[in-house]
Amino acid sequence: MASLHDQMAATGKVKRNNDLPKGVERLKEEHRKVVKDCRSQIEHWKKVENDYESLQDRLRTLPDKLSYDITVPFGPLAFMPGKLVHTNELTVLLGDNWFAKCSAKQADALVEHRKKHVKNTLDDLQKVMKNFQNRADFTDDIEKLTGDTGDFVDIREEVINEEEVAKGKHRLAHKPHSNPKQEYLLELEEDEEKKEGDEERTTGVLSEEELWARLDELEREEELQDERYRLDSTDTNGEDTTSSSEEEKEADGGSSVQVNGHQNENGWVPSSITSQMNGTNGSHPEDEEEEDCDEEAGNGLPTIYFSHTAEFKKVRINTGKNTTLKFSERNEQKAQAKRKKKSGKSNGHSPHECYKITSPADIYRVFVDLVNGEPIPRKSILKSRSRENSVCSDTSESSTADFEERRAVFGRSWSHDDATHSDTSDGITEEESPTGMSPRTNGRFEAFTGTVIEKDPLPCSIPHLTIAAPALPTIPERKLEEVGPEAPQEPPKRMSKFKATRLHQK
Amino acid sequence: MAEVIQKKLQSELEKYQQLQKDVSKSMSARQKLEAQLTENNIVKEELTLLDIQNTVYKLIGPVLVKQDLDEAKATVSKRLEYINGEIQRYETLLKEMERKSEQHREVLSSLQQEYQRAQGQAVGKA
Repeated sequence: MASLHDQMAATGKVKRNNDLPKGVERLKEEHRKVVKDCRSQIEHWKKVENDYESLQDRLRTLPDKLSYDITVPFGPLAFMPGKLVHTNELTVLLGDNWFAKCSAKQADALVEHRKKHVKNTLDDLQKVMKNFQNRADFTDDIEKLTGDTGDFVDIREEVINEEEVAKGKHRLAHKPHSNPKQEYLLELEEDEEKKEGDEERTTGVLSEEELWARLDELEREEELQDERYRLDSTDTNGEDTTSSSEEEKEADGGSSVQVNGHQNENGWVPSSITSQMNGTNGSHPEDEEEEDCDEEAGNGLPTIYFSHTAEFKKVRINTGKNTTLKFSERNEQKAQAKRKKKSGKSNGHSPHECYKITSPADIYRVFVDLVNGEPIPRKSILKSRSRENSVCSDTSESSTADFEERRAVFGRSWSHDDATHSDTSDGITEEESPTGMSPRTNGRFEAFTGTVIEKDPLPCSIPHLTIAAPALPTIPERKLEEVGPEAPQEPPKRMSKFKATRLHQK
Repeated sequence: MAEVIQKKLQSELEKYQQLQKDVSKSMSARQKLEAQLTENNIVKEELTLLDIQNTVYKLIGPVLVKQDLDEAKATVSKRLEYINGEIQRYETLLKEMERKSEQHREVLSSLQQEYQRAQGQAVGKA
């Protein structure tokens, strides 16, 4: 008996050491056994089915003759010639010691009925076999995963709870049923009841995490929806917001914590943060980039230099209450708009493709106004005066007062001799664009068909608005907008194009 | 002390094994009943396929006894009900036995632990 116990102890220890691979082996064995059983059973039933088939054949041919001459087995060793009579009368075993006398055709029907049962059994067995086969394969995969030589690597990141999840201020949930305070409560509970069942605790924490994850998901979805809706409804509004958002984004390098506390954009924002940091820390990389761009394009085109000012924080705060939402939305919108432009341009812009487009900046270089045969870079590819002459631009119906102001300042600070805004705004009738493009762009973008009335341009409190080629025009515009009247900034974004036109026509 | 535990462990083990055997027996009986159930179902269905003209026989021992079709149908239905009842009975029985065997398993494991501890102590003493 001692030996038995020793064995048990020994096996216990051994099991602990090699638990996983042995377990997996055992599991695989069981699976294989089941699969083998299934296979043998399937074979058996298939044979039964074949037997029934041949029986049916026999039944069909049997009543053809009144009697057959047969060799009758006589005991285990002998045969005797005999006759098979009453060929249509059959005694059928129904099962469970029940017999029935019936004709060949009736017997045929019975056999058919039995075959149905056999088929059902076969199908079930097949299903079971497939199921277990899958399970076996799955365990194989798992083994590979956890094994040393697996191709897959489990990447884990230890999360130091609240710090990493939300950078900066933790967002309040917008959903009614999610209660941020719950989390803290839960933590307290954890601390207090540490000795409580692990399961309870873990399930509690999981549910919280699940809730947060679900929250984030929903928020993301909501934002995307909003963004899409906005883009669809008013294109230029989107444009404005995107342009402003980009400026915001670039301006945000300093503080940025709050804005980037947006959990949803976590993966995306960090990249933007880095770009912002790069931008703000010295605007050097950007400046260099600009300069490079200038160098490249500087042959005939005027260059636009742009640098960040210290107005950043103000800019950010002024953008509105829902900073985070807007921020991300605008960013995405801007990205989308850029993408649109890029795609739009690339679609039909082959003649202009002498410039190789490698960065968003390049896009602007290609957007040129042909004034008197000379290519003049457009101040903004977001706005266009007339539909026909626009090159791949979304017209800004909500080109509101602010916009005019922006453009005004823009024009002034532009190093290029492009005189007054009125000139630029009205005069830049884009005869340039290849006609082939315009119909296409017309179809894609909404056109602004009203007249543009210039308002008094804001005093250029921002000393240096050197704007570099492409994306940049929008940014200083945005900044101006921020620095300027804040009030009109909010409504214009949301103004419908009709209202905007009305305003202009006033 | 260790020996006492050992004896206890042994008896418990035997009881547990006995219980396991009972469980397996009930299991096989239940499986048989299930086979009969399916068979009787088929018979019932096939009887419905026949008409009154066919004579139905029941095999009792070496004799085929003529039966009425309706009678046969009734008999088969009754048998089906009986089989179902038996299956239910066996189900409950199995559950009961399973529970008991679970208890025995726990007792066994606790006894085993005690025994190991006792052995450890004995080794320590010695």
